[in-house]
Amino acid sequence: MNIVFLLQSFINGLSIGSVYAIFALGYTLVFSILGIINFAHGAVFTLGAYCTYALAVGDFGLNGLLAGMSLPFRLPFPLALLGGSLLAGGIGVLVERLAFRPLRAKGADPLLALVSSLGVALILVNCLQFLVGAEIYAFPSGIFGSLPMAMVFKMDGKVLAVRTVQIIILVVSLAMLLALAWFMNRTRMGKALQATAENPETASLLGIHVDRYILSTFFISGALGGLSGTLIGASFGLAGPYFGVSYGLKGLAVIVLGGLGSIPGAVLGGLVIGLGEAFLPPDYSSMKEAVAFVMLFVILLARPQGLLGRQTIQKV
Amino acid sequence: MFLENYGFLIVAIVQQALLGMSLWYPLMAGQLSLASIGFYSMGGYIAAIMGTSPAFAAWREALGPALYPVEWLIALAASALLGLAVGIPALRLRGIYLALATIAFVQVLNVVVLVLDVTGGAVGLFGIPQPFESRLGYLWFFGPLLAVMLIFSARLTRTVAGRSFMAIREDELAAQAMGIPTTFEKVRAFVIGCGLAGVVGAMSAPFLNTWNARQSSFDASVACLAYVLIGGARSVWGPLLGAALLVALPEVLRPLKDARLIMNGIVLVVACIYLPQGIAGLLASLRRREVA
Repeated sequence: MNIVFLLQSFINGLSIGSVYAIFALGYTLVFSILGIINFAHGAVFTLGAYCTYALAVGDFGLNGLLAGMSLPFRLPFPLALLGGSLLAGGIGVLVERLAFRPLRAKGADPLLALVSSLGVALILVNCLQFLVGAEIYAFPSGIFGSLPMAMVFKMDGKVLAVRTVQIIILVVSLAMLLALAWFMNRTRMGKALQATAENPETASLLGIHVDRYILSTFFISGALGGLSGTLIGASFGLAGPYFGVSYGLKGLAVIVLGGLGSIPGAVLGGLVIGLGEAFLPPDYSSMKEAVAFVMLFVILLARPQGLLGRQTIQKV
Repeated sequence: MFLENYGFLIVAIVQQALLGMSLWYPLMAGQLSLASIGFYSMGGYIAAIMGTSPAFAAWREALGPALYPVEWLIALAASALLGLAVGIPALRLRGIYLALATIAFVQVLNVVVLVLDVTGGAVGLFGIPQPFESRLGYLWFFGPLLAVMLIFSARLTRTVAGRSFMAIREDELAAQAMGIPTTFEKVRAFVIGCGLAGVVGAMSAPFLNTWNARQSSFDASVACLAYVLIGGARSVWGPLLGAALLVALPEVLRPLKDARLIMNGIVLVVACIYLPQGIAGLLASLRRREVA
């Protein structure tokens, strides 16, 4: 253990943890309003990353139905990121219309909504595979323009390297978190969303269009999912259409760790899991994928409502 | 000819129906657990290790074909014990929290399997001895188990244990107030499912000939849940009907090639919207209409 290792791990953990946080926020927003986990969120994450890729690179790769086709333009990365996130928001809305609204209209068992969202995830991911093939895509290195690949600091004769993409991730995620906090607490729409989350029936009596707010929630959730997908994709590359599955499960660990439906909880959970993974000693790096789930299992047994969750008292 | 071509499919339907059923028991007690696939994976590894590892060569020599039932018993005992160890703390959780805890359990198990040497790491184990020449032969494994489980399930709905499960599903607090030991009953339903999943795993390792971490992917968990819900969670026939539909569907749709998985997703969504009680519920309502 030395100070450089600790500092490096801290930066790595903060950067990845902040992406986990914004990804998990998408789950939490939907959960707080509908009380249902949207299992298609991982698919939206993947699709958002691919949308940004297409906008920034201008083509759709070498395989699948869209092979060889290209867009007539290429966007600079910040615009592509914005565009990809908005498209992912649109996909989030699509998920709501296909998987959740028909069931809500019938007052069906929430368990069925879970399965239908898994069905929609299957449709989205396989459509994607159909269109762009199953191979791995890497964002080209020139995507961040003239920015250097990494910043290197020398400390105590040891090298501390911070990749530019990590800093971008951290800045974008923090900006997004602050924007969301402002939106939820300071704007009329955010307050209406909170009211809907608290009690949809009362909210609708107060003149809030519940269906419209549910749709907006799915849009915001999808956009956050797509944004985080792009950030992870830009950092590690897009590992095929099933890229989102493991992040989708990890995101579940994040929100339960923080407390289901709690926005600060999702942020805390994301950072805790990101840092937990980063501080894992190198000898145990093969166990990295288990960190989130071991933490989840432990917290569920010790404090089922999560770190910042409220204890619900069941009424008879 | 038909049996030659479709032998694998028929056995796969029965095998998957049994897996669905392992999830059906906790669901009967109102507990959504996605742990089955983990116990299935563990049972499979037990059979795969006993079938291939040099350490068990003497056992294979001595037992001959009796090795298979021994594997089933060991898988049953191991799954039931681990199920008990996981179930007692986990079943304090309700609803989605339990589902997430069981997902976490399976994910941790997967990482452990990938790290250990005895399970063959990411490559897995292969060349597991096969007792039957033809695929259809495996019905001698799965068929009787399915028959026993169907009879057991049908009987269960008429026993005190089964009725307690259903009481907990309808209203856990009310069931507790009636004097039903809810924790005990929930753990009992969970352990029955775990044991069954373990045995199915031990039977499946020779059938599939190879065993690896992909057997317990999240997709496989989802598939099990889908069999039960699409078949009908309230009927003992549900898992079988659901597995028959969802396992056969990709084969029937083979001409669609890559689009068939998309069709699978569409079937899931449409079934959730239009068949909330599953196929079994649809059949029951058709029968009622005829009578009236």
